[in-house]
Amino acid sequence: MNTHTIDTGTPVIPADAYDTTVFYADADAIATVTNTTAPDAVALPCQDASTAELLAAAQEAGHRAVPAPLAETALVARPLLRRAGLPVPDGPLSYAIAPELTIRYAHPAASPVGSAGCLGHDDSLLVTGTLRRVPWARAATAVVVLATAPSGPVLFTLTPDQAILTPGGNLAEEPRDDLHLAPLEIPAAQVRRISPELLDEARLRAALARSALIAGAAERCVDLTVAHTTARTQFGRPLSRFQAVKQEEARLIEEAALVRAAVHAAAAPLDTGGAAAHFTVAAAKTQASASAAEVTRIAHQLHGAIGITRLNPLHLATTRLWSWRDEDGDETYWAHRLARPLTATALWPTLTTTP
Amino acid sequence: MSPSTPSPIAFPDIVLPESARRLRAEVRAFLDEERARGTVLGRPDSWLAGWDDGFSRRLAERGWVGMALPTEYGGAGRGFLERYVVIEELLAAGAPVSAHWVSDRQAGPSILQHGTEEQRRFFLPEIAAGQCFFSIGMSEKSSGSDLASVSTRAQRTTDGWRLTGTKMWTGGAHVNDYAIVLARTDDAEDRHAGLSQFIVDLRAPGVRVEPIHLMSGEHRFNAVHLEGVDVPDGMLLGQQGDGWKQVTGELAFERSGPERYLSTFPLLISLLRELEQRPPTAEQLTQVGVLTARLHSIRRLSLGVAAALDAGSAPDTQAALVKDLGTRLEGTLTDTVRSILPTPADPHATPGTHPELLAFALLHSPGYTLRGGTNEILRGIITRGLEQRR
Ligand SMILES: Cc1cc2nc3c(=O)[nH]c(=O)nc-3n(C[C@H](O)[C@H](O)[C@H](O)COP(=O)(O)OP(=O)(O)OC[C@H]3O[C@@H](n4cnc5c(N)ncnc54)[C@H](O)[C@@H]3O)c2cc1C
Repeated sequence: MNTHTIDTGTPVIPADAYDTTVFYADADAIATVTNTTAPDAVALPCQDASTAELLAAAQEAGHRAVPAPLAETALVARPLLRRAGLPVPDGPLSYAIAPELTIRYAHPAASPVGSAGCLGHDDSLLVTGTLRRVPWARAATAVVVLATAPSGPVLFTLTPDQAILTPGGNLAEEPRDDLHLAPLEIPAAQVRRISPELLDEARLRAALARSALIAGAAERCVDLTVAHTTARTQFGRPLSRFQAVKQEEARLIEEAALVRAAVHAAAAPLDTGGAAAHFTVAAAKTQASASAAEVTRIAHQLHGAIGITRLNPLHLATTRLWSWRDEDGDETYWAHRLARPLTATALWPTLTTTP
Repeated sequence: MSPSTPSPIAFPDIVLPESARRLRAEVRAFLDEERARGTVLGRPDSWLAGWDDGFSRRLAERGWVGMALPTEYGGAGRGFLERYVVIEELLAAGAPVSAHWVSDRQAGPSILQHGTEEQRRFFLPEIAAGQCFFSIGMSEKSSGSDLASVSTRAQRTTDGWRLTGTKMWTGGAHVNDYAIVLARTDDAEDRHAGLSQFIVDLRAPGVRVEPIHLMSGEHRFNAVHLEGVDVPDGMLLGQQGDGWKQVTGELAFERSGPERYLSTFPLLISLLRELEQRPPTAEQLTQVGVLTARLHSIRRLSLGVAAALDAGSAPDTQAALVKDLGTRLEGTLTDTVRSILPTPADPHATPGTHPELLAFALLHSPGYTLRGGTNEILRGIITRGLEQRR
């Protein structure tokens, strides 16, 4: 006898239950996604969208668990390429910030007085090492790497087919691939020397993009949980009628609101840069990462058993939250960066630099 | 959900008026002067515990009490967001603002909205001058969360009302001038319908104010016995029978302000001062960072509610959300400060030192999540607000 059916013959588990694409049924303007191997199907926000618009798109991508590197491309890779003065390739992009690589100039002996300075006749690099857990590397048309060359910080691009790719994934099975460069020559046309500030901006951009994704996934947890507790009945009443359920649900909502507020607060400062950008982004990622535990705990608790299965979309949000909180700096990393410049006299003026 | 449907947890964008920057600088300069005078001591919970009528009057001279009231009633005619800037500066500095707190936050706006022209002309200029201090007379012994069950009665007399009953936990009744009292005027079928608000002179015959001491020993609130107090017709606030509507209409103002997350902020300043003595540990940095991120995020939500109020809406759900988050943070902050810098809390230590401030914040801590509607009740409002949108 089939254990998946009950007496009436109605399947307990719908036939398409394990086809995760059904959960993306509402993906429209921002992302039309067929499957993870067809990233070209993702319509990215246009290039001249404002930071606030891009953050809203990233949040929406997090909410829908869009299987494509939308935030990575739009908020991190593209702006960094533009800031470095490199052309922006079409399609999904990824990034690696300050990976451990061995970088030498590719033509050190050719000429001692080229445009690269004393070390070579041009800025072509010879790069050895591994880029670890690069988001969506297998699907990216290019990976933007920010690293330190003998002359100082550089930004360069490579295409995944130039490397040996070891596939990997995070808790949500989003691609996090290792790229082995053994060794790889990067032509000077793909290399730009950058300021240390741009390297720091890259960290801020990646952290804020990740925070926006977290905000969206947290909101998905709210939506799914409220829908569930209003629809599911126990003891003859919807779960949402029980005080104990209300108390937990409210905390979930609050935590999600908090993350959203923190992300929004950083939108304008990210464009202007400086101390305000540093403070608001560090606060956003600290808050987003720190809130993930409470959001996922409550959402799962109120869903009961169905929430821990693939019968229900909750896992799309919670597994992402568990990974995203660690990616691009966890709350401990960002809390340290946030706290280090604070003194008794600086704290309040810092808190009030943004409205 | 599409990006165009406003999320229930979305708050409006916050744009502080250009004037706010100047205002903030002016308030900081004023606070420096007051610090030099010895009146601003960086104490926690200063909106409950810092009663200083001189300070209130000097603040009023700058136009910073009742500042959102129209100029024709002696106010400064400024917006909510400007008022927000002023009060958050005062609270962060731990300034003694409790004398005028209720007048400024609640009584003034309420009289402006519901009062008669005569009441406005009589009370508002005095409030804005820092000369008229109000208390809130809502709670009773048997009516806390279930406020609509109040049993204080107002009986009709020839030219007014006679009030009988006992209000509990009435903050400042022993030092303030008036209380806004919620009383039953009709035994209506719908218990919400029979309630009305009265402005009661706390020095009137028949008012007996009995001290209630906090566990710290402080005398901040009272039992106010109304033993047949005659209140003239002119002191009915708003319409007879509208008391409940009026009380609940004020909630968004009452619940979302900076006093709902900054009560223990001065303790964090004190902690940072202590941490400057030696290099902080990794754990101390982490916790300070986490607290600061949360403070910043809650402040943004709170400002979002202020922006919504400024735009004329009544974001009750969001206000409840801010208050639950903020008041829980006030307690968490105290617990965290204690755990990352182990110091025995000492109420007898020199006032203003870290052990004394910690003791003060701890002894006040259970109140943060009770006053103005308990957090359990707030969470009920939040989930109801969200379900109604579905
Ligand atoms: C510092 C401080 C200052 C105050 N100042 C004033 C003042 O100036 N004027 C004034 O009028 N009042 C004042 N109050 C009173 C305050 O408004 C009440 O304390 C508050 O409304 C709660 O009422 P209660 O204390 O009677 O608690 P109760 O209502 O008896 O509640 C006790 C506990 O039961 C919980 N509870 C009650 N009902 C429910 C429910 N339906 N679902 C879930 N949980 C529930 C509560 O959350 C709480 O945890 C003050 C209180 C404090 C602490």
